[in-house]
Amino acid sequence: MSRLVFSRKPAKFAMARIAGAIMPGAGAHVGPLALQSDESLPLPTPDWVRLRPRLSGICGSDLSLIDGSASAYFDPLVSYPFTPGHEVVANVLGADGKPGKRVVVVPVLSCVTRGVSPVCPACATGQINLCERVAFGHFEPGLQTGFCADTGGGWSNEMLAHPSQLVHVPDDLTDEAAVLIEPTACAVHAAARYTGEQTVIIGAGTLGLLTLASITATRDAQRKAPIIVTARYAEQKRLAKELGADIVCTTDELPRHVRSASKSLVFGEQLTCGAPHVIDCVGSSDSLQQALQVVAPGGEVQVVGMPSNVSLELTSLWHRETAIRGCYAYTHADFTTAIDVVRRHDLGRLVSATYSLKDYTDAIAHAAASGRRGAVKIAFDMRGN
Amino acid sequence: MKLNNTPSKLSSVPQLRKVAKLGDAAGAAVQAVLKPAKALGFPYRKPSVPKGQTVPETPSKLGADFETDWARKAPAKAVRAIVTNGPVRAVIKLLANPEINGLDRLADLERLDKTPALIFAPNHHSHLDTGVMIVAVPEPWRSKLVVAAAADYFFDTKVKGTLAALTLNAFPIDREVTGRKSSDELRRLLDTGWSLVIYPEGGRSPDGWGQDFKGGAAYLANRTGAPVVPVFIDGTGSIYGKGMKKPKPGKSKVVFGSPLYPIEGESTRRFNARIEAAVTALGDEALTDYWTSKQRAAAGTNPKLTGPEYNGWRRQWALAEHRKLGKAGQRRRQKRRWPDLG
Amino acid sequence: MPRPGFVLEVDRSTPSILFWRGENFSLEKLPAGRSRVIYPPEPLDAIKDIDGAIRHALLNPIDQDPLPALLFPGMKLTIAFDDVSLPLPKMERPDNRQRVIEAVLDLVAEAGVDDVHLIAALGLHRRMHEYELRHALGDRIYDAFHSRGMLYQHDAEDHDNLAVIGTTDHGEVLEINKRAAESDLVIYVNINSVSMDGGWKSITTGLASYRCLSFHHNPETLENTRSLMGHRHHSALHTSVWRLGKVLKDHGPKIFQIETTLNTDMFPKPFEFINKREWEWTAKDRATFLGTTKALNRTPIKLARKIFHGMEGPHQMTSVQAGETEAVHKLTLEHVYKQQLVEVQGQTDILTMGIPFVSPYNPDGVMNPVLVMCMGLGYLFNMYRNKPLVREGGVIIMTHPTYRDFNPVHHPSYIDFFEQVLTDTTSPAEMSRKWEKQYAEDEWYKHLYRTGNAYHGVHPFYAWYWGAHGLQHAGKVIIVGGDAPTVRRLGFTPASTMDDAFEIASDVVGRNATITHLHVPALLVADVQ
Repeated sequence: MSRLVFSRKPAKFAMARIAGAIMPGAGAHVGPLALQSDESLPLPTPDWVRLRPRLSGICGSDLSLIDGSASAYFDPLVSYPFTPGHEVVANVLGADGKPGKRVVVVPVLSCVTRGVSPVCPACATGQINLCERVAFGHFEPGLQTGFCADTGGGWSNEMLAHPSQLVHVPDDLTDEAAVLIEPTACAVHAAARYTGEQTVIIGAGTLGLLTLASITATRDAQRKAPIIVTARYAEQKRLAKELGADIVCTTDELPRHVRSASKSLVFGEQLTCGAPHVIDCVGSSDSLQQALQVVAPGGEVQVVGMPSNVSLELTSLWHRETAIRGCYAYTHADFTTAIDVVRRHDLGRLVSATYSLKDYTDAIAHAAASGRRGAVKIAFDMRGN
Repeated sequence: MKLNNTPSKLSSVPQLRKVAKLGDAAGAAVQAVLKPAKALGFPYRKPSVPKGQTVPETPSKLGADFETDWARKAPAKAVRAIVTNGPVRAVIKLLANPEINGLDRLADLERLDKTPALIFAPNHHSHLDTGVMIVAVPEPWRSKLVVAAAADYFFDTKVKGTLAALTLNAFPIDREVTGRKSSDELRRLLDTGWSLVIYPEGGRSPDGWGQDFKGGAAYLANRTGAPVVPVFIDGTGSIYGKGMKKPKPGKSKVVFGSPLYPIEGESTRRFNARIEAAVTALGDEALTDYWTSKQRAAAGTNPKLTGPEYNGWRRQWALAEHRKLGKAGQRRRQKRRWPDLG
Repeated sequence: MPRPGFVLEVDRSTPSILFWRGENFSLEKLPAGRSRVIYPPEPLDAIKDIDGAIRHALLNPIDQDPLPALLFPGMKLTIAFDDVSLPLPKMERPDNRQRVIEAVLDLVAEAGVDDVHLIAALGLHRRMHEYELRHALGDRIYDAFHSRGMLYQHDAEDHDNLAVIGTTDHGEVLEINKRAAESDLVIYVNINSVSMDGGWKSITTGLASYRCLSFHHNPETLENTRSLMGHRHHSALHTSVWRLGKVLKDHGPKIFQIETTLNTDMFPKPFEFINKREWEWTAKDRATFLGTTKALNRTPIKLARKIFHGMEGPHQMTSVQAGETEAVHKLTLEHVYKQQLVEVQGQTDILTMGIPFVSPYNPDGVMNPVLVMCMGLGYLFNMYRNKPLVREGGVIIMTHPTYRDFNPVHHPSYIDFFEQVLTDTTSPAEMSRKWEKQYAEDEWYKHLYRTGNAYHGVHPFYAWYWGAHGLQHAGKVIIVGGDAPTVRRLGFTPASTMDDAFEIASDVVGRNATITHLHVPALLVADVQ
């Protein structure tokens, strides 16, 4: 089977970091990612199944790994060499090797998949995203499929999955729509905290747009105040409008829009009032700082985009009793909702381009420049071989 | 205890001695030339006067008759331009730091194609006033400005007179009565486009309060038709007033008033009173504000520059109060000087 | 003897014509045979003895007792004066306002009046900076009155200090500054730069509240204002203002109106070429033009702005009249028209105009895109009497860089207006319905207007409404040399050169359309026959 493999090669990792800093996505050329032909992986336990990926998306967290900019935090939660790809729509392979039903994978490697019994308290309540055993159990560490040496990942012809990870894809959904179920589940998880008050979504990349789509698809009845979305590129702006944003603006316009929508005054750069709920789908120092600038006193900044090492001026957080809350992954229930959201908004259209595995450098360059190039989601297409 | 300095001081002593020796030698050389001349007598020396004969006195060229025409010729003008724009400006800035107000009242005249010659009539407290006026008067008048200066004070010796004429463009006049010659000369200057600074008080204030205006400026204006610009100078009296041994640097203020035109048929005395009232009102404006001064001028209650009627310590006392209102009241506190204990 | 204005028919021998382009100029060749250029009259001679003329006007007013007869001790006197939007560019010191108010104060002091307030009648404009007040009134008045709290600026949002005078038969409520309303006499000191200003408009807008202004500063009135600069009865705005004026006359304080006019000698040396006819440019003028434009191309925009806004015009007073408002204003208008009126035969298909670096709403500020629209369609388009220079459905071509740049201190609500309102609609009626209230009542804008130096929150709407008639009248508006996305946001068409603009215009008005160029600077009102 052929697969893209990310191995532990410190020198290449350093080069990727430099290249990625110069041009996002360039880490794919020089870094530790390579296309290989390998033997099939052994099943960890007999109840695991083999999958044949059809489409597998490229996610922001994948890009940060490839460009060497991911946080060292993840190091103990990742096992090398691994095959990336956790946004997967695949066919389950039968014992005869024939492709069977179409599924999407819930990539979280929680207690059940690891054979940990009894399951941890988080998994016991279904909150598998908070599982306390992601680095333990009877296979290598890995917080998700796509970061674990033993499971393989979506950027390949073949990968492994535990039956508990599989979610059946209804026949009316295309592969393109199905590949967006996993990121949409993430967004659904974030949208659960939507209150109907004024909400700001910073960033209109995949996550920002899907969060917006999840809110408008599932909680539109609650909307009492405008949803403001910041977008940089024309296509993002168009999509944000289409998906139901009340106000779409650029980042530098945001404080003014929030100010006038919340009838706020200003001291220094800080709005006196602001939006009670700010969803940061970028996760950079700048975006988080701006989130704190526009969040209302006592409000919440929800960090959906993965931050790494950021530096923040937190006086306003202290002074105005605001909160910064993370938002990671999803539960099984979120996947069920995500299917509805994808169907409601016809989100398959957000897959802008697909590449075969051998063109992975092009694919990654495209994904890294997706906003500028008018794209949203880039995916690998394994249906041809 | 500045040990480091001692060697250099010591080393300078022999040098001084060398210089002294050179001086002695030069003196000897001069003596060598003069001695034979002395021995030679007349005509190398002044002739002695025979008994019973008197030498008729040559007419004095000092005082009011001091010849200053040369000071208004091109070479002197060039020198003066350098002196007034350089050292004079710097010294005035350093000593008196004048704030200049009311120039907009001259804007209409400035805009004319042919700007008329003006008579500036400021109050007078200090020798610095002339310097301040030279700095404060705007172009085009500054470069053609003649200052009427007391003949008995500035033109009593040739050197003093020459310097005053060259650097300040001073013109000698008598304090009390303007002689016919001076007045004709001043008219000629006005007619040829030279503006004048005339201190109508006739001299610096003896006690810090102003003095009554004498009619010189009004008379000239009446005769020539030149407008009189009343000017109030505040602060120079306490920087370098009459009787002070050395100046105490401080701040000053110059306020220009609207030009006054002699009215057809108006006597010199009445015009002079108008000028005095205008300077008095400007004085009020400088120490309080425009509106207060306007209101008091209308009611005829501007405080007199000549001070209170009474005499003695109460007059001095009132002066201190008066000065507190003006720029002198804002004087930077002198740096406290402690004895240098090495 | 200043020459009157005239209309030049462009032929092959006509040189290129000077256009403003914001903080720069360009020379544009207009097509021969179908173009004409309207040149303003040359600057009239100023009054010789200005202060004497002012005093004469105060002592011999029109239809009113001499000023000293109206003054008595113990009275409450308010002197209101025009704000920083006039004159443009600012005049050399002393300003007309200083001269007139000093002359008035002379008489006031003589009459023994103590209770005198000076109020900047700025309506919803920004508060003036200290240096602007000092420039307009002189240091003496500023120093004497400001520290005593007797010189201040009107505040249209200070509801404790506003008073209702009455209501017109059309239901318009006249609400003005309380101090003025309760005074025994209000003296208004104006500078009448354009014929739109002055008369009853001085007090009923300058000292009015937002509520009072909204009766006539709205899209409907301004779309029906068919001649802002021409006959009053063609202007719905002025008709409304005159109705309010009647209420003021009948129920308000006694008013003594002093109006002054200026000549159009607007640019100091060495920029006289701006005011000259191109074929009369001397070698020196040409050298100055070339040097200036080439240097400005390389000058950072902030510095260029500083240079232009720092300019002081040598314009001087051509008339001063005082007395009863309407009688005074009638005479004032005669003087304004004497300086500005040019007779023009017939309308045109394409009207071209150069937009300068300044409009009445950005003295010492940035000519932002909204103001470009306001200047072009609100002011220059309206510089006509009888009928517009351009025919209905014709094309208006402006030249201006139309950068997306705002002065955040002066124009905070303009930024939001550009970002929020113009992305939604460019229709005056629609924005008035959907957005105006939100902006007018925004606490932050009010705060900045009342305590900072910001235009009122609703002001960008007024600036936009000012062009409402032009917007409705013109078939297409093209901006040459503007930033394309910004121009499109305004609802206009960008073009890179004048030739392109004519090409684009031909889609609307055909190949052989007639072109008329309004040769500003210098002000002119085209009397279209």
